[in-house]
Amino acid sequence: MPSADEVVKSSWADEVEEVEGGNLPPPVEKNDGNTKTITEYSLNEDGKKVKITSHYRIEKHRVARTIAKRKTWAKYGLSKNDKPGPNPATTITAEDVFMHFLSNKEEEQNEQEELKKKLMDAQKGQVKCRLCKEDHWTKQCPYKDKLEPLRSSLLGDEKVEEEPPQPGSGPPVDKAKMSGAGTQGKYVPPSMRDGGSKKGESMMSARGRDETATVRVTNLSENTREQDLQDLFRPFGDISRIFLAKDKNTGQSKGFAFINFKKREDAAKAIQVLNGYGYDHLILSVEWAKPSGTQ
Amino acid sequence: MKPIMLQGHERSITQIKFNREGDLLFSASKDPKPNVWYSINGERLGTYDGHSGAVWSIDVKWDSTLFVTGSADQTMRIWDVETGSSLSNLEMKTSVRGVSFSYSGTMIAYTTDKMMGHNSELDIIDVREPNDIDATPIMKTQVTPNYAKALSVLWGPLDEYVVTGHEDGCIIKWDMRTGKKMEVGQEHTKLIKDMQLSHDGMMLITASKDTTARLWDLATLEPLKMYKTDRPVNSASISPLVDTYPHVVMGGGQEAMDVTTTSSRIGKFDARFFHLVFEEEFARVKGHFGPINSISFHPNGRGYASGGEDGYVRVHVFDDAYYQFKFDF
Repeated sequence: MPSADEVVKSSWADEVEEVEGGNLPPPVEKNDGNTKTITEYSLNEDGKKVKITSHYRIEKHRVARTIAKRKTWAKYGLSKNDKPGPNPATTITAEDVFMHFLSNKEEEQNEQEELKKKLMDAQKGQVKCRLCKEDHWTKQCPYKDKLEPLRSSLLGDEKVEEEPPQPGSGPPVDKAKMSGAGTQGKYVPPSMRDGGSKKGESMMSARGRDETATVRVTNLSENTREQDLQDLFRPFGDISRIFLAKDKNTGQSKGFAFINFKKREDAAKAIQVLNGYGYDHLILSVEWAKPSGTQ
Repeated sequence: MKPIMLQGHERSITQIKFNREGDLLFSASKDPKPNVWYSINGERLGTYDGHSGAVWSIDVKWDSTLFVTGSADQTMRIWDVETGSSLSNLEMKTSVRGVSFSYSGTMIAYTTDKMMGHNSELDIIDVREPNDIDATPIMKTQVTPNYAKALSVLWGPLDEYVVTGHEDGCIIKWDMRTGKKMEVGQEHTKLIKDMQLSHDGMMLITASKDTTARLWDLATLEPLKMYKTDRPVNSASISPLVDTYPHVVMGGGQEAMDVTTTSSRIGKFDARFFHLVFEEEFARVKGHFGPINSISFHPNGRGYASGGEDGYVRVHVFDDAYYQFKFDF
C-alpha cells in the first residue's frame, strides 16, 4: 500500500517542469537610449536551450495631449501584468508583405507593342513582297497600285516567276502556287490543291507556337486556377500561354497543365526550381512537355 | 510594409474600430473579451472582461472615454476605456447585433436580433450618465416583421437620423424625431455585412454578401458607386485622405464554412484596394489566412487594420509605394 509520504512527492510531470524553469537563466532586459534588447531563454521541442533576443526600437512621437495621456494609462484585463511595451505573446511583427499593384494599362500596351515588334522581326526574311521584294506582304505593298498592273502586263497570265516554296511561309506563296498551276480565279477543292497530296500539318504547329519552351506540370491540386499558375511561374520569365486542363462540367482542374514560356532558358529554370516543389499539400512534378505530335 | 499582428483573440474577429484620433484600436471577436490596443506599436492596453458570449459589434465615443459592446449573450455593456471596468450592463431580450454612439456621444442606437418570438428592434438609449443608465429606450422601433432583421446601425450627422443595414440587403434611414422610416436604399441583393461612414460623414459605404460594396450619399441614400468583386464582401472602408487618395479598401473571402476546404491561395483573402471614383481595383495586400471580417483605414489615412476569420488583427502602415502609385486613367 502506498504510504502518505509518497503522495507528498510531486509527480514526475511536475518535476520536469520545475527542472526546466530552474535551469534556464532569467530573461535579461537591456535598455540603452533608443533601443531595448530583451534576451530570453527557453527550451525547444528537442529539449535544447534556445536563446531568443528581441530588439525594440524606442521611438518618440509628438502627439496631442489627450493621446499622450492615454499612453500613460495603466493596463487592465488580461494585459494587467504586462510590462510597458508590446508583449510578445500578443503582439508580433508579421512577415514583410507588399502591396501588389495590379497591372497598369500603360504597361500592358507597351508590352503588346513590344510583342508586335518581335513578331515583325520574326517575319523578316520570311515574308517577301512579290512586287518590290521588300519585307512585307504583297497586299500591304506601298507600291501596289503602281507595280501590280505593270507586273501583270509584263508576265501575262501564265508564267509567273515562282520562288521556291519556303517552309513555314505564309499565304502569298500558296496563292502564287495556285496561279502557277494555271487555275487562278477558279475554285479548287481542298483535296485537289497542292496541300492535298501532302500530309496535313497539325493545327498546333500551324499556330507557330514555340513548343521547345513548354513545360508540363502534373500533380496539381484540383483547386488550382490559371491565376495560381501564373503567380507560380511568372517569376521565371515571360509566359506566352498557360493551359490548365479542366473538367468541362465542374470547371475543376484535372491536375495537369502546360506552360509555354517565351524563352527556353526560363522554362529550364522553372523545371529546375519547381520540380518537386510542395504546392497545396502536393509535390509538383514539372518536366519538359513532349511535342504535341508525338503523344 | 511590415504589419503588426495582434493575437489577442481566441476566435474569429467580428469587428475592429479605431477611435477618433486613431491611437487606439478596438477589436471584438466571437470570444467574449474585446481588446483595445495602441495602434502605433501593437501594445495591448487591456481587455474588457464580463461578457459571456460572442461580441458582435463595438463602438467608441468620440472622446475615447466610453466603449460600448453588443453581444450574443443578450447584453449590451458600456465600459470605461481608461480602466476597462464595466460601467453598466443592459440586459436585452435577444442578442445585440449593432451598436453605435451618436455623433454627440449622448445616445446609443442598437439593433437586436429577431429570436425566440421577439422582433428585431432598433432602440435608442440616453447615455449622458454612463454610471446610471436608464435601460428603457427613449425610442423604440420595431424593425420586423415589416422589414428584414437589422444587423448594423450608424448615426447620421447632428444626431438627426440613424441608418440601419438589413438582412435582405436594404438600408433604411430612420428619422430620430418621429421614429419613422425616411428613405430606403434597395440595391444590394443579399445581407449587409458592414457599413462605414466616410471621414466627413457625408458618404456611406456598405459591404454585402452579394459580392459588391456600394457607396451612398448619406443625406439622400442615393447610390453613387458600386465596387464589384467575385466573393462576399465582409467589410469596406473609405480612405480619410479621400481628396488626394480616393481609395476604398475591401475585405472578404468565401463563406466561413468553406474556408477549411480551400487553400488560402484560392480563397483570396487579400485586402483589395479600389479607386473610389472609377470603381476599379488597383492593388491587393495578402496576409490573412481566412476571410477578412472587418477592415478599417486608420483615421490619418496612412495605414489600415484588418481583422480576420483567422482571429488575428493586422495593422498595416503604408510604404511609399502606396503614395507614389498613380492611378492610370
